[in-house]
Amino acid sequence: MRSPRLRLFIAAVLQGALLFVCVRGAGPLPPLGSFLSPATGVWSLARSAEFPRRSEARLPGLSAAVEVVYDDRGVPHVFAATEEDAWRAQGYLLARDRLFQMELQTRSPAGTLSELLGARALEADRATRRRGFRWAAERNFGALDSTNLFFRAARAYADGVNAWIDALEPADLPLEYRLLDARPARWEPVNSYYFYLNMSYVLGWFESSLSNLETRALVGAAAADALFPVHSPVQEPIQPNGTDRPRYDFATLPPPGLPDSAALIAIGYHRELDLALAPHRRSEHGVVGSNNWAVAPSRSASGHALLAGDPHLELSLPSVWYEIHLQVAGGPEVTGATFGGSPGVIIGVNREVAWSLTNTGADVRDLYRETVDDSTRPSRYWLDGGWKPLELREEVVLGRNGETLAVDTVRFTHRGPLIQIRDRASWLSFRWTPFDARSTGEEFLRLNRARDHADWLEGWKDFIGPAQNGIVADRAGTIAIRSTGRFPVRPEGGRGDVIRDGTRTSSDWTGFLPVAGYPFAENPAQGFLASANQQPVDPRVNPAYFGSDWPSPWRAMRINQLLRADSAVTPDAMRRFQTDPGSSRAAAFVPHFVAADTSPAARLLAAWDSRYTFESPAPVLFDAAMAELNSLVWDELIPSRAGNTADTGEPSRPVANPDDVVLLQLMADSASLWWDDRRTAPVERRDAILRRALARGYDRITRRYGALASGPDGSSWRWEQVHHANIWHLLRIRGLSALDLPVQGGSSTLSPSPGSGTHGASWRMVAELAPEVRAAVTYPGGQSGNPASARYDDRLPRWLAGELDSVLFPVRPEDLPPARIRSRLTLAPAEFR
Amino acid sequence: MRAAGFLALMAAMALAAWLGWWTLPAVGLLWGLLRPGVAHPVLWASVAAVGAWGFWLGVNLIAGQGGLGRIGERLAAILGVPLPGLLAGTLLLAALLAGSAAAVGYQMAGWMRRPPARPPI
Repeated sequence: MRSPRLRLFIAAVLQGALLFVCVRGAGPLPPLGSFLSPATGVWSLARSAEFPRRSEARLPGLSAAVEVVYDDRGVPHVFAATEEDAWRAQGYLLARDRLFQMELQTRSPAGTLSELLGARALEADRATRRRGFRWAAERNFGALDSTNLFFRAARAYADGVNAWIDALEPADLPLEYRLLDARPARWEPVNSYYFYLNMSYVLGWFESSLSNLETRALVGAAAADALFPVHSPVQEPIQPNGTDRPRYDFATLPPPGLPDSAALIAIGYHRELDLALAPHRRSEHGVVGSNNWAVAPSRSASGHALLAGDPHLELSLPSVWYEIHLQVAGGPEVTGATFGGSPGVIIGVNREVAWSLTNTGADVRDLYRETVDDSTRPSRYWLDGGWKPLELREEVVLGRNGETLAVDTVRFTHRGPLIQIRDRASWLSFRWTPFDARSTGEEFLRLNRARDHADWLEGWKDFIGPAQNGIVADRAGTIAIRSTGRFPVRPEGGRGDVIRDGTRTSSDWTGFLPVAGYPFAENPAQGFLASANQQPVDPRVNPAYFGSDWPSPWRAMRINQLLRADSAVTPDAMRRFQTDPGSSRAAAFVPHFVAADTSPAARLLAAWDSRYTFESPAPVLFDAAMAELNSLVWDELIPSRAGNTADTGEPSRPVANPDDVVLLQLMADSASLWWDDRRTAPVERRDAILRRALARGYDRITRRYGALASGPDGSSWRWEQVHHANIWHLLRIRGLSALDLPVQGGSSTLSPSPGSGTHGASWRMVAELAPEVRAAVTYPGGQSGNPASARYDDRLPRWLAGELDSVLFPVRPEDLPPARIRSRLTLAPAEFR
Repeated sequence: MRAAGFLALMAAMALAAWLGWWTLPAVGLLWGLLRPGVAHPVLWASVAAVGAWGFWLGVNLIAGQGGLGRIGERLAAILGVPLPGLLAGTLLLAALLAGSAAAVGYQMAGWMRRPPARPPI
C-alpha cells in the first residue's frame, strides 16, 4: 500500500466505521463507545458496586443532617431528625440502589414506557391509558394539598431521588440505561401514586365472572354456579368461625346442562375487554398466594406474640422489595420492606408492633353496558332518561425522542373509563375501587407510627384497596387480623360478577361496607390467626358479598394444621412453616387415587407423605396425574371446535378449570355425569377416570424424564430436577436473571410455586414481640440493582434454603456492632438548585 | 520512541478518557497530526490506548472488590461471548479507535505538508 491517499482512505473508512458503532451502536448493541469505555462505561459499574467506607452528599430540603449506616446485609439504617428528612433520605437511598427499577415500575402505570423503551411498548402504554390510570392520577393525586401526609411524603421522597439523579457520576448510571442508551428521567411526586396504581393492578384487577360466564355458555347456569361458587365449598376462613377443623359444605353437583347462548355474548365482551385493557398481562391466578399468621402468647414457647408474613408476587431481579430501617427522633422507628417508589415501610416491625399483608382478592371491579349517542365516537351516554356528556381526554403517547407515537381519545362516564367492544359496536364502562383512592400510601405511613394493635387497626381503616388481609401483633400480646379495603355494596345486595345496565344510576354501587362489617378477629380463643388468600369470612357468620371463586384453602388448612399441632411455637418453627413442603391438596386427593388403583403408580403415591421435598419423585407423578384428572373430568368445558385432538394428540384446554375443592366435592358422587369422558364411547365412572388419569400422568412423565429410578442418583423424577424457580430480570435479560433454581414446595404448599416458577415468596419475615422486638427476614434477590455488586443476588441462597437473617434494629448509630458496619453516608442539608 | 513520550501519550489518553470515549480518537488524531518524530506512530497510539483503557480496567478491578469480574460475567452472558473475549474486545476497540485516528492524522499531516503540484506548462 504505497499510495498515501489510499492509506488515508482506508484509515478514514475504518475510523468512520468505528465512530459509527461507537455513536450509534450496531443491531441490538448500544453505542459501543460510551458502553465499553472502562472509565465511564459499563465496566465502571464495578467501581460503584460496593459503597465507600465513608462518604458525604448534600440533600436539598433536609432540616438537619441524616446519618445512614449500611450493615453487612446491605441494609441502610437511616437516623433522621424528622419524618420528612427520613423520606428524603429514603428516596435518595432507593435511587442509589434501584434507580432503573423505580423508573420502569412507575412508567408502566403512567403509560410512558415508550419514552424509555420506544415503540415496542406503545400498545402497553395505550392500554394503560385506556384503563384510565393517568386520568386517575391527575384527578386523585392532583387534588391533594400540601398538608396531606402522603403528598408531603411523596414530595420529600422525590427530592431525595432527584438529588441522587442530579449528582449522578458516570459510574453510577445503572446498566439498564446503558443497554437502552437512555438517561434517567426526573422523578415526580406523582410517581409514588403511580406505583400504588401498579400494585393495585397486580393485586386487584380480577374479573371473577369470566370463568362462570364461559362455563355457563357451555353447560348452563346451574352447573356453572356450582363449579364456580360464590362461597368456597371448604370453609377455613380467615376470621375464625368457632370450629377447630375445616368445614366441608359439599353438595351433589348438578349435571352438565344445556348451553346458555346469552352467556356467549358476555364472553365476547370480557375477552375484548381484557384485550383492550390488559393485552400483556400474565396471570397465574390460583397457583400463587401469600400467607401471614400470628400466634398469641398463650401458644408461643417464649410467652410473647409471634408473627410471620410472606407475600407472594411475581419474582424479579432486582427484587420488588427493599429492606430499610427508618429511625426518626420522636417519630417512627420502623424496619422492614419497602418498594422502590413508596415512602415508609410497607411490611415490617416497629418498636411496638409487627404486621404483614396478604391479598384479599375481593371483587372490586364492576362492568356496565352503556348506551351512547354514536357507536364510533360517542360524546354522550344515556342515563336515567337523558343524555349526559362523557368526559373526553386526549392521550398522547410519546417515543424515545419526544416524537408522537399515538393520539387516542379516552372517554369516561361518572363510573370510570368507557371501553369500546369493537366487533359489536357496543361500549362498557367500569368502576374500580382503587380509582377512588385520593391518597393511598398515607395509611402505610400511619402503620409505621402505630403504638399498639388498636392504633395500627385505626390507622389502616381508611385504606381503599385493593383490600388486604392485614395481620398485626403487639408487644402487649394482642394479635388481630382484618381484611381492609373498600368493599362495594351493589344494588339489592347483588353480586359483582355480572354486567349491569349502565343506563340507570340505580345500577351503581349504593355504598361501601362499614369497617365494622369487615372480616375481623382479635385474640381468638384458638390462640392464632392465619390468612392465605382464602375466603375471608364464613358466609354463615357474615353473608356480605366480598367476591367469588375463591382459591382453594389448601394453604390455610396446612397453616392451621401446623399451628393447631404446636402449642409452644417458636420463631424458628414459624420460619420452617414458611417453606413447609406438606400439601393439604395432596393429602385430600391421594387416598382417592390409591383406593381406585393398584398399579405401581398408585403404590408410589400410597407410600408418599404428601410432602413436596427436593428428593421426592411422588409429587412429580401427583401433579401430572392431577393435571390429567382435571382434563378428563372437565371435558364438558372444552369447546367442541377446540376439542379436536387429532393434530397434537394432546387434550385441548377447558375454557376454565373449576377449583380443586370442587373436584374434591365431586369425589363423593362416584356416578356423577361429570366423571364421564364424553370423548369416549363407554360411560365412565369415578374410579375409571382416576385410574386413567394416573396412568396418563405416569406415561407422560416417563416419556419426559425417563423411567422411575433411571437417574444416576436412583431417580430421574426428583422434584428438584423437575421443578424450579425462575427469577427473571425486569427486562427479561437472561444474563441478569437467576433461572432453574431448585425449590422445595409446589402448587398448594405454603410456599407455592407455579409451573413457570416465576412467582413465589417475594419477602419472608418472622417477628417476635418480646420486650425488645426481634425480626428475621429475607427475600429472593439483594439490595443492589447493580449486577456488578455482590448485593445484587446475595440473598438467593438463603431464600432457597428457607433461611432468614436476623434484623439489626439499633436506636442509635453507635448501637450497631462495628464489625457489621460496611459503609457510612452523611446526608447534609443543602439549598434547592 | 522514548518511554517518557509514550507514557505521556498514555497518560493523556487515560486522563481524557474521563471526559468520554471520544477523547481516545481525538488524542490519536492529534498525535498523528503532530507527527512527533517517532517511528510507527500508529502502532504507538494503539499501544498507548490499550494501556490507557487497561489502566481504567485496573482501577475498576481494584476499586470494585470483585465487581469487575461480576459485571464481566454478566455482560459476557448477555452478549454470548466469553469474558476474556469481552475484555480483549474492549481493548481492541481502544486500539483501533486510537490507531485509525492516528493513521488518519498522520496521513493528513503528510498530505498537507507536501508541496502543491505544479500546473503543467
